[in-house]
Amino acid sequence: MKHKLAVSLGVLLLASPALAEVRISGFASIVGGKVIDGTGVDEFDLPPTFLADYPLVGAYEEEISFEPDSLFGLQFSADLLDGLSATAQLVSRGANDFDVDFEWAYISYEVNDNWTVQGGKKRLPLYYYSDFFDVGYAYPWVRPPADNYTWQIFNYTGLSALYNYLIGDWTMSGQLYYGSEDDEPNKLLSEFFFGEATREIWKDIGGLVVQLNYDWLDIRLTHMQYTNERYIGGEQQTWDGSTERKGKFYGLSVNVEYESWMLLTEINRLDLSGTDLDTYMVTFGYRFGDFLPYASYSDFDDGEGGEVHNTTSVGVRWDFHPSAAFKVQYDEVKDNGGPGLKVAGDSESFSFGVDLVF
Amino acid sequence: MKKLCCSILLSLFSLQALAGIAVIVHPDNADALDKKSISNLYLGKTKRFPGGAQAVPVNLEVGQASRGDFDSNVLGKSSSQLKSYWSKKVFTGKGTPPKELANDDEVMKLVSSNPNIIGYIDSSNVNDSVKVVAEF
Repeated sequence: MKHKLAVSLGVLLLASPALAEVRISGFASIVGGKVIDGTGVDEFDLPPTFLADYPLVGAYEEEISFEPDSLFGLQFSADLLDGLSATAQLVSRGANDFDVDFEWAYISYEVNDNWTVQGGKKRLPLYYYSDFFDVGYAYPWVRPPADNYTWQIFNYTGLSALYNYLIGDWTMSGQLYYGSEDDEPNKLLSEFFFGEATREIWKDIGGLVVQLNYDWLDIRLTHMQYTNERYIGGEQQTWDGSTERKGKFYGLSVNVEYESWMLLTEINRLDLSGTDLDTYMVTFGYRFGDFLPYASYSDFDDGEGGEVHNTTSVGVRWDFHPSAAFKVQYDEVKDNGGPGLKVAGDSESFSFGVDLVF
Repeated sequence: MKKLCCSILLSLFSLQALAGIAVIVHPDNADALDKKSISNLYLGKTKRFPGGAQAVPVNLEVGQASRGDFDSNVLGKSSSQLKSYWSKKVFTGKGTPPKELANDDEVMKLVSSNPNIIGYIDSSNVNDSVKVVAEF
């Protein structure tokens, strides 16, 4: 599949060399870090661990490591004229032993000034930072707060329609999307949670994103629904006797960048067949020229005795170069999970690195 | 009289402060553009001139003196904030930043040859082949 895709994209790119303008852009993050102090989780034989990136299982331990958050991405975009373009994104991640994968491969068609239709494999635009999660340069932290970004599926294959309207001083933009994802083995569930090869299926993913932007204010509302099926070690899971369960996701994000002040907030709820998984985060920052110190708090809570954890972070971003930023960050995780539901225990960690785009 | 003096002084000062960057279009382009509409074009929020014709903004490369001034005075962002803004769009398939040119000459050449293009250069380099729509 991967080879076929590469070949057909190659053909697309080569088909009309005189007409097609191919743009190559990319992003990279080289990040090192370690756990300074942590409890681990005795019942899982887990040493002191900081799970910095849930979907990719980017986990730091007491030995310094550059693998959990480091990555390298290349994006190829061929403009085929008259509003048609083809885009592919290749990403190599330390958390995956630097294997190279197609994260994106889609065709895009600009229907008019306001609407663009896209088809193929894309990032799921679930949370505010989901669809540019890999592009560290685009946000202040070393990585988006891990407690909030705990979802298992981060790509989907399907269709989406992007819109963009200017209404007075406001821009309204967003996305409607529909698709599915069948991930086997799913990294987070297989490696971290169940310790057994897990196939995670999200069917009939349907979502809507509405983003309102006014100069210094950015508001994003989102809703998404899907149907979940899961096989652990080849065996189909059931929930209350059913092989399927419904997930309904709601999210609100309000971001302010006023003069030198920055306030980033996000609150989300995933209603998964009756259980509410609630997350929120808030980040304050203040720019001193090229320096942006910030403090952040994020929280995950699915109820009394369930999975409950939060992270307090402080850090500094320094834009030392027009295309690159240096970051240092300290994270303190409190894992208050109920019996059998701790994730990685309490921890204090330190990480630093460089994010760049080109 | 005092008021007059003040306003003359003020206008002298503001002239000095403003004589920096000239936003330029093709001489045939009859559109009036204010700061907001220029900023909307450069941030990819609109793709047309107020008159309805397609608009293609061109940028100067980072490092050119006018680029930093344009980013902060007209777009209200630092060059790195702007880079973050565009990297979100580029890597989510939501937009492409304006093409970057190496110097004022290249901007002049493109603008004077195509009515759809809008650019900006150092005011002192403006000649008759282009029309100035705003100065900052």
